[in-house]
Amino acid sequence: MTSRPAHVRLRAGLVVAAFLAAGCSTPPTAEGEVTYGLTLSPTGIDPHLNASAELGIPLSSVYDTLVVQDPATGDFLPSLASSWSVSDDGRSYTFHLRSDVRFHDGEPFDGEAVAANIDYVLDPDHHSQKAAFMLGPLEDVVVGDSQTVTFLLTEPYPPLLDSLSQVYLGMASPKALETWGPADYQFHQVGTGPFRFQEFIPNDHITLLRNPDYAWGPSIYRHDTAQIERVSFSFYTDPATRALALENGDADILGELPPRDADRLERDGAFQVEAVPIPGQPMQFLFNTRRPPTDELVVRQALLLALDRPAIVETVFGTSSPVAQGPLSINSWGFSAASSFPAHDQAASARLLADAGWVPGSDGVLRRNDVGLELTIVAPSWGNNPEVGQLIEAAWEALGARVELRVAPSFGQLKEAQEEGDYNAIGINFFGTDPDLLRPMFSSGAIYNWMGYSDPLLDSLLARAGGSAAAPPERSELYTQVARIVRDQALMIPIRDYVNLVAFQRRIQGLRFSYAGWFPLLIDLELAS
Amino acid sequence: MVSPSDRPRTRLLTVLLRRALAALVTLWAAVTLAFFALRITGGDPTHSLLAQGLASPEQVAALRRELGLDAPLAVQYVRYLADLIRGDLGESLYTSRHVITVIGEQLPSSLELALSAFAISLILGLSLGLASGWYPRRVFGRAADALSALATGLPVAVVGLAAILAAAYLSRMFLPALVLTRAGGLVLPSLTLGFAASGALARAIQAGLLETSAAPYLVAARARGIAHGTRLMWHALRPVLPLAVSLSALQAAFLLSGTVVTETVFSRPGLGRLLVSAILDGDYPVVQGLVILGAAVYTVTYAAAEIFTLLLDPRLRDVER
Repeated sequence: MTSRPAHVRLRAGLVVAAFLAAGCSTPPTAEGEVTYGLTLSPTGIDPHLNASAELGIPLSSVYDTLVVQDPATGDFLPSLASSWSVSDDGRSYTFHLRSDVRFHDGEPFDGEAVAANIDYVLDPDHHSQKAAFMLGPLEDVVVGDSQTVTFLLTEPYPPLLDSLSQVYLGMASPKALETWGPADYQFHQVGTGPFRFQEFIPNDHITLLRNPDYAWGPSIYRHDTAQIERVSFSFYTDPATRALALENGDADILGELPPRDADRLERDGAFQVEAVPIPGQPMQFLFNTRRPPTDELVVRQALLLALDRPAIVETVFGTSSPVAQGPLSINSWGFSAASSFPAHDQAASARLLADAGWVPGSDGVLRRNDVGLELTIVAPSWGNNPEVGQLIEAAWEALGARVELRVAPSFGQLKEAQEEGDYNAIGINFFGTDPDLLRPMFSSGAIYNWMGYSDPLLDSLLARAGGSAAAPPERSELYTQVARIVRDQALMIPIRDYVNLVAFQRRIQGLRFSYAGWFPLLIDLELAS
Repeated sequence: MVSPSDRPRTRLLTVLLRRALAALVTLWAAVTLAFFALRITGGDPTHSLLAQGLASPEQVAALRRELGLDAPLAVQYVRYLADLIRGDLGESLYTSRHVITVIGEQLPSSLELALSAFAISLILGLSLGLASGWYPRRVFGRAADALSALATGLPVAVVGLAAILAAAYLSRMFLPALVLTRAGGLVLPSLTLGFAASGALARAIQAGLLETSAAPYLVAARARGIAHGTRLMWHALRPVLPLAVSLSALQAAFLLSGTVVTETVFSRPGLGRLLVSAILDGDYPVVQGLVILGAAVYTVTYAAAEIFTLLLDPRLRDVER
């Protein structure tokens, strides 16, 4: 080679050397620091205005809420509110606030601060995408004295406590809200929680620092103050990179692992894997009760019995995902085993159809009065719905049906397919900690009643459970009755309960999650020495 | 009649003017296409609200009104263009932050990666091209040929994941102090991207050299006893350069307008990931801002490449006037 390419080589070497030096300047993870991998890089992280679930992973430790939900039982416990009372008509909630709480900027927490937070959330110019809707029929927030605040509703709304326990209605310093405004507050968040907000660089990282002054933690926390100095969050949006990030030591904790990767990491002794249940609805398909042949109860029952749901779940999700048993996931408040769905029974399924007059035609497809048993499934493209749809398709074809599976690539297209009504089963589900989320799905004519099913009894059960000031045991019983009707009418196919597969390095200890499943209680994290 | 010394300048002026005009048309077309394509495929913030079952249709309608999404498309389009002419790119639908701010904070990271990857791709592309084109039968020439084929053929994601694995292995075995793989680091991503981008340049130079090295004028040069290296640098390479420059410009523009896969695989911030999340979220103003930026980058880089090519190849200056 001549001298010139040699120069080129030398220059390449210098450039690489310079990069290596730059790489070295990043300090390795120090004692007292934990790196938490997030799976989504949210567009905005002001919980009062943005709707992402991911933002709650860091921020539920920056904010305290008026009440908290017991991670084990789902009961509501005091936090910033030391006590509260609900009026008999269910339209007025009075909270008595702690007097010893200070925001990270030194400002005191009081009734005015609560009112200022609600004003910030409800300001129409702020375009709140979640918190504003969680307040339901809120009419006014009245500040009694500095330690008392009353929420007035136009009608009873039991989910209010649930809403107020969530990070989206976490209490922020009114001074900081005022100073930064809706565009910039997300970079300068100030709460009262066990960690202070240090920095947010979009698509890069979020950093939290321990709040040494924290002394008003709710009873669900095991420690008085955080045990770790610093928690930083980075974004691993590509599922394929998550297990790698753990194995490289880039991340200490990572959620939403692909099931196969979770299985592999679990076999590797260096990691621990936990399947954190997510309350709300399971992955599910709803039957269309308006369109033949699923307008017929017997057909729906037969189709349900023809599915080996545990086998479907294991094929698609491995061993870590529980098989769903109804319109609420098993760990959800309000779920009752008494309303579990029937198990796979191919013979019973075939018998039901035969008794109803369906006989095989010359092409093997079941027919009745010259009409074939033809079914259309619409599956959303996300969350392995298409794979599950294929297995359902195969099972129903084995039964003697002709099945068409259509995949809807976006929510808009799913909604479109639903409006056209050209389906027998369609996939959709909602998460949430309050079972009132069943109301918009199973009430007559409700917005998500994609079954087209209408039953006055179901309506009144849902209204009584969700709309009145019913006591928890009574609500729970009402939801059991709801689930029973859903099962007996074979309105849906429950597939799997969602779990968040979280893997973490062995040195991480005390990792627990909130009742909603996604949010870690960072205060209790510890590092093994 | 222009004197020979005036020619390049006049020509440059024409090129610049024509480019500026073309740039405006390109920008308009890109913005318009992005505007309508996004809205047809759907998925704005109010959709995700509905998808989560949070809001009633009335509440969603109110939010759409507040965000200005309820007006007919044509009206929204005219409004957007009017704002754009005044230099107002609008605000993100999710955070009410200015689009320029949102893009601006991702820009440095993208620039850093694009420039270092571009430098690596030039060095690598040139080296591989020279080795495989000038020494096609030597072992290192063949190796360079194979490498450049890999660079052209392998998807960036595969190269990136392989690089992470290799670095993890290396740092576990030999260099525990070298934190090569840390999220946000620059070494692996720019090597990965630089390698992937070097393929086209290497292939072009190789092909050009193989052709010119057989040309009669090179045989003549050799017969005149001109040294091997001089022949390569001054005789064989020169005709290949215009194509190489155009290709490099294309690569530079591609790299500068954001590199989704590399940014995602290495968990780096940047324009590419911003674009993906903005499209998925239906954050229209941000997507449109990025489209404008991308179109501008392409236009400017092309103009620069064209000028550079004119300077390199006097024949173009004479013929195309």
